[in-house]
Amino acid sequence: MKILIGVFQKDGIEHYIVQENGVISLEVDPKNMYFENYTFIKLRDPIISSYESVRNGEGVFDFRYGPVTSGVGEAGIYHLYTYGERILSVDVDLSYKSRKLDQMISGRDPKEALKFVESICGNFAFSHSVAFSRAVENSLGINIDPVTESLRIVGIELERIYNHLYVISQLALAASQKVLSSHLSYLFEESLRLNKIFSNSRYLKNFNRIGEIKIPDGEKLQTLKEGILKIIDDFKKLYDHALASGNFIDRLYSTAVLKMSDALKIGITGPTLRATGVKEDLRYGNWMYEDLQISTKNDGDALSRMEVRAEEIFESSKIILQKIQILQKIQNFKTTPESMEKRSNGLGYCESPSGTIVYVIETKDSKISDLYISTPSFFGFKGVANAMIGNVFTDFQFAIESFGINFADAAL
Amino acid sequence: MKWWPIRGLSRFLTEKRDYKSDTSVKPMKKIFRRSLHVYTIDVGNSNLLNFEIKELQSPQYNTHRFGIYFADSPRHADLLIILGNPTEKMVEPLMNTVKQMPEPFGILIVEENEIVEENEKNSLQLPNVVGKLKNPEPEEILGALLKIMKGN
Repeated sequence: MKILIGVFQKDGIEHYIVQENGVISLEVDPKNMYFENYTFIKLRDPIISSYESVRNGEGVFDFRYGPVTSGVGEAGIYHLYTYGERILSVDVDLSYKSRKLDQMISGRDPKEALKFVESICGNFAFSHSVAFSRAVENSLGINIDPVTESLRIVGIELERIYNHLYVISQLALAASQKVLSSHLSYLFEESLRLNKIFSNSRYLKNFNRIGEIKIPDGEKLQTLKEGILKIIDDFKKLYDHALASGNFIDRLYSTAVLKMSDALKIGITGPTLRATGVKEDLRYGNWMYEDLQISTKNDGDALSRMEVRAEEIFESSKIILQKIQILQKIQNFKTTPESMEKRSNGLGYCESPSGTIVYVIETKDSKISDLYISTPSFFGFKGVANAMIGNVFTDFQFAIESFGINFADAAL
Repeated sequence: MKWWPIRGLSRFLTEKRDYKSDTSVKPMKKIFRRSLHVYTIDVGNSNLLNFEIKELQSPQYNTHRFGIYFADSPRHADLLIILGNPTEKMVEPLMNTVKQMPEPFGILIVEENEIVEENEKNSLQLPNVVGKLKNPEPEEILGALLKIMKGN
């Protein structure tokens, strides 16, 4: 199944960014391809609306939530159209968060641009950094060696673990499971501290570079291994306990349902798509992932999304331990990037904790002359807007948190 | 597994150590020595500072033992923490929030390193600024808050 996740113009010719079976490809001037989300992607309107739009009627009013409220932590607005209880339609306004970072990146040297890329979204900093580096390497003709690639995979999976722990802890908080939430936020902080020991940054910033990565010593790898084992052991106990709690599961079950057909229509990727039953993951297309088990669920509700994320935490830890084992056997960590043929444009992508991140860049005199970024949160907000329809106000928090998206990533 | 509250108590999740901050901050009035209610507002950070504030509420730091509470409304707060550099559209909501703060109040500015230079033009004349932190980790924010409460 082909999913359209980006559209851009180059020399007057339209290019589609399409994801299929774990691989991203560019379709040049596709005249015979039709995607329902084409206009949505093409316009990139900062106001994202649900498909159903009910704004008038007896007692229907616009309940404006944000940008300054404790319910929405970020600078963004939800316009919830309601007559008091049920949500009839939703508009999400991203414009308050827009920092125009994509414009700031254009015209810069790739190494300098990397810190801007990491500032797009703090909690997906490493995924953004890897996707951007891959695009630059693709364009400059740099071939990455297996050690660097393995360490990048470790970084991506570490990011996945802490983001998923955060999402599940927020879901527990929304269901007033304060003890579970506190224990999970303890693990979340522990995983960030582990990141700091491993990469010198809690959010894995400045760890990845263009064509290379900071090589950690054997001691750091051992600490990471022990830390991950401890976190996963604790998480397993908590998760089993959480699944036994009827109160918690009842709140998540059949809340904010997004059907498979809608998810594909919108262009959603990542755990949200997998929770609707589609086995689509960019890690499939990467040969460095050995015997990867991708979990899917069929209901498409908040519970399915939480289950997929929890299972991904276990899978990520397995991948990290595998990679550490291989890295510990290697004595000489010196990496030498090989050179390939240079191209004017480059494509780079990565499976972030919430879905596909794609960078398409164009270089001129080794400076970035043009770039196109596709982020998962932009599609996620369209998904949230549609999933919230028909739900009651009190389900708002479950809908928002279970998608694991944020305004910084969507607005750029 | 043990019953949850027992498990939590038996594991001593709260850290017993001093939190220090090297940043110089202006201490607030004496009435806040034992209780400080904080409201945070995001005006355009990369979500990283939001995460750090969420982390400050984790069991390791246990801010309640110092009398630091996170309020749900600026009208309930003594200290406003501004996260990030204001984007164009967030200037007005920020100024409105500042107006809602009850007297006496303080403002703590928390910024990220990377994109500060580019947005410098948006810097505002804010009243009662007690300090400015750059790219802090939760323990540094907590150290700064304790300094604000207890004096330098």
